[in-house]
Parts: sequence; structure tokens; C-alpha cells
Amino acid sequence: MPLFDALYNYARWLVHEPAEAEDLVQETFLKGFRGFGSFAPGTNFKAWMFRILRNTFLSSRSGLRAVPSISIDEEPDEAIQIADAGPTPEALLLQQADRQQLQKAIEQLPLVFREVLLLGDVEELSYREIAETLSIPVGTVTSRLLRARRKVREALTR
Amino acid sequence: MTHLTPEEIMRIAEEGSDAPHLRECNACANAMLEEVRLRGAIRNAGRRYTAPDALRARVMRDLGSDRRRWRGWLPLAAAAVLVIAAITMIVVPRPPDARELIDLHVTMLASPNPVDVLSTDRHTVKPWFEGRIPFAFDIPELGATPWRLVGGRVVYWQQRPGAMLQLIRGNHRISLFIFRETAEPRNHAADGFHLRAWRSGELVYVLIADVPDEELAQIEKLFR
Repeated sequence: MPLFDALYNYARWLVHEPAEAEDLVQETFLKGFRGFGSFAPGTNFKAWMFRILRNTFLSSRSGLRAVPSISIDEEPDEAIQIADAGPTPEALLLQQADRQQLQKAIEQLPLVFREVLLLGDVEELSYREIAETLSIPVGTVTSRLLRARRKVREALTR
Repeated sequence: MTHLTPEEIMRIAEEGSDAPHLRECNACANAMLEEVRLRGAIRNAGRRYTAPDALRARVMRDLGSDRRRWRGWLPLAAAAVLVIAAITMIVVPRPPDARELIDLHVTMLASPNPVDVLSTDRHTVKPWFEGRIPFAFDIPELGATPWRLVGGRVVYWQQRPGAMLQLIRGNHRISLFIFRETAEPRNHAADGFHLRAWRSGELVYVLIADVPDEELAQIEKLFR
């Protein structure tokens, strides 16, 4: 079945509880199945299925709890300076960071950053497809991705 | 010197688009490599859970009871069958020697230090191999191409020393192995990787990456 593992992986990252993730995936497939007639050919099927899963999650109890009460885009976007020479600190920390540390860092990200990282870096959706899935502008996708990666780097250096 | 912004570095790492500045600025080139490496590490760490078989069965049962709607999914099911058939066909013939090279490539992907000489400059990378391997080879100018040289290292295959160059395009890391006096493995695809090999004089070149074979063919043209 297409996308089965990818959707389950995404669901587990969203809700943690295996049983809840399973319910999410089951409901996603049923909704996708029933609404397949409304799927517009030519648009991205993967993005469409992820959007169904995400909307199902957002209307669930854990989804409602996870949605932040303030707009994260109002946070100031501090600039990153690039050092003029020498190995970047990321080079060193990435060598030391193992998979588990990285998973912990992703887990601790606020939902808005975690999901953009999962869709972009893990599922390799394009910025446009992520924008479509999350119903946000492409520019917001870029800034969230930047900030999500920065937060991961910060978590690894802590 | 004006450095690239983090947005620009992210976009270049994503699209593999050209940025002349990267050839002049080590700090930005390093920042971009780190971006690519971090994305790879996140991708690897993010693929954490596999769906249980029981769930698969449950969903199939659900969908089965919704049978009247199957018609809409038929093209999709047909496409899935085709994909599975294609994967099965390309995985079956796998010469053992090629497998070893793919393993070397995968080891490099997983390594925190994939290269021993880290440079985007071919005039730095090529001389580094002098005295380390018993032959010389040329590296073409990649400036106007979508691929960027990252560096290289010495590898052993079939008890022979050879060179491994690493190229990147966006998220994709490409290994080019160069050996002397050996038979070239057959071109093939396995586990999502394509392998493309050719001989030029006494040297054998082998490209391996998770990119389409057509892309490897373009790189082959540059090195021929």
C-alpha cells in the first residue's frame, strides 16, 4: 500500500503513542479512500495524503493540545553570522551527535518546527508541497525550516 | 566579502543551484556542506518507525469493506504493482563486486568523516592523491555544472588501492571510484542506488548515487 510506512512514521512523530498513531493512519486511509474522487489529478498525491493525516491529527484531542496559542511567526528572526574561517562548530557536533541524540532533539521541537522538518528533510517534499500540506505560504516554509534546523543544532550543542 | 545568507545556503543545498561565491569562500562552502550533512542526518534519524503488520491488515480490512469505492483506487493499485515489479526486476541481478562498491558508498554516507581531503577545489583534491595511490587521474572543472566537488579519500577494493571522489548535488551525495587494472562492474540499480561504470585506458571509473542513471551518464561525460 502506497505511503503506509511514511504516514505511520509521521503519525508517530506527531502523537508518540503507538495506538493513537495507528488510529490516525487508519482514519487517514479511510478518508483518502472515500475522498479519492476529490483528489485533483496532477496535484501531489503524497502531499494530499499527508494533509489528510495532519488535519485528522489537528482535530484530535492531542492535536488540539499541541497547537500553539501564539503565532510562532511573530518571533524575531535573529540573523546567523557565518564565521570567516575555520571549521564550523556544526561540523564537530554533527560528528559527535548520534542518531538518538538527533531523535531527541527533533522530539523536543515544537510541533510547527517538527512537522516542517519531517515533511522537508525526512519525506523530502518540496517547499511548495510542504506549503500545500500545511496550508501556509512557501516563504513561511523556508523560515520555519531554517529555524527548525537552527533549533536542532542548538539542542545538539547543549 | 559578502557571505551568503542562511536562506541562500539552504536553497543551494536543496536545489543544488550554482553559486560562484561558494568556490571563493571556504566559510560559506563549509556552511553549505554542514547544511547538507545535517539534512542527511535528520533524514536518517527521522525514519524511525515502521508500521506494524497488524495495522496494515486492519486498514486493508477497512478498505475491503468499503469495496464499492475500489474503482477510484484502481489506477493507484496498478501503479503500485508496477513499481513493485520494477523494483523486483532491478534488484535481482546484482554482481557481487558491485555490491561491495555500493557498501563502500553507503559506509561513506554514514560516516561523519566521508572524505580525508575536504575541498571544492580540484587543484587541491587531485594533488592530494599523489603518492597515496599508484596512478593519476584528471578531475574536470565542475563550476558550470550542477555538481560540486566535496573532496576525496583512498579506498581499497579487491585488494587494490583507488580513489574515491565525493560530489554533491543538493541532497544527493555521489561517489566516484577510480581504480586501475581491474574489470569494471556492470551498470545496475539496487536499493535505490544506481551504479554506472566505464573504462578509460587502464582506469576504471564507477559512479554510485541515489540519483537517476541519466544523471550519472551526464557526470560520466564530464570525466571521460
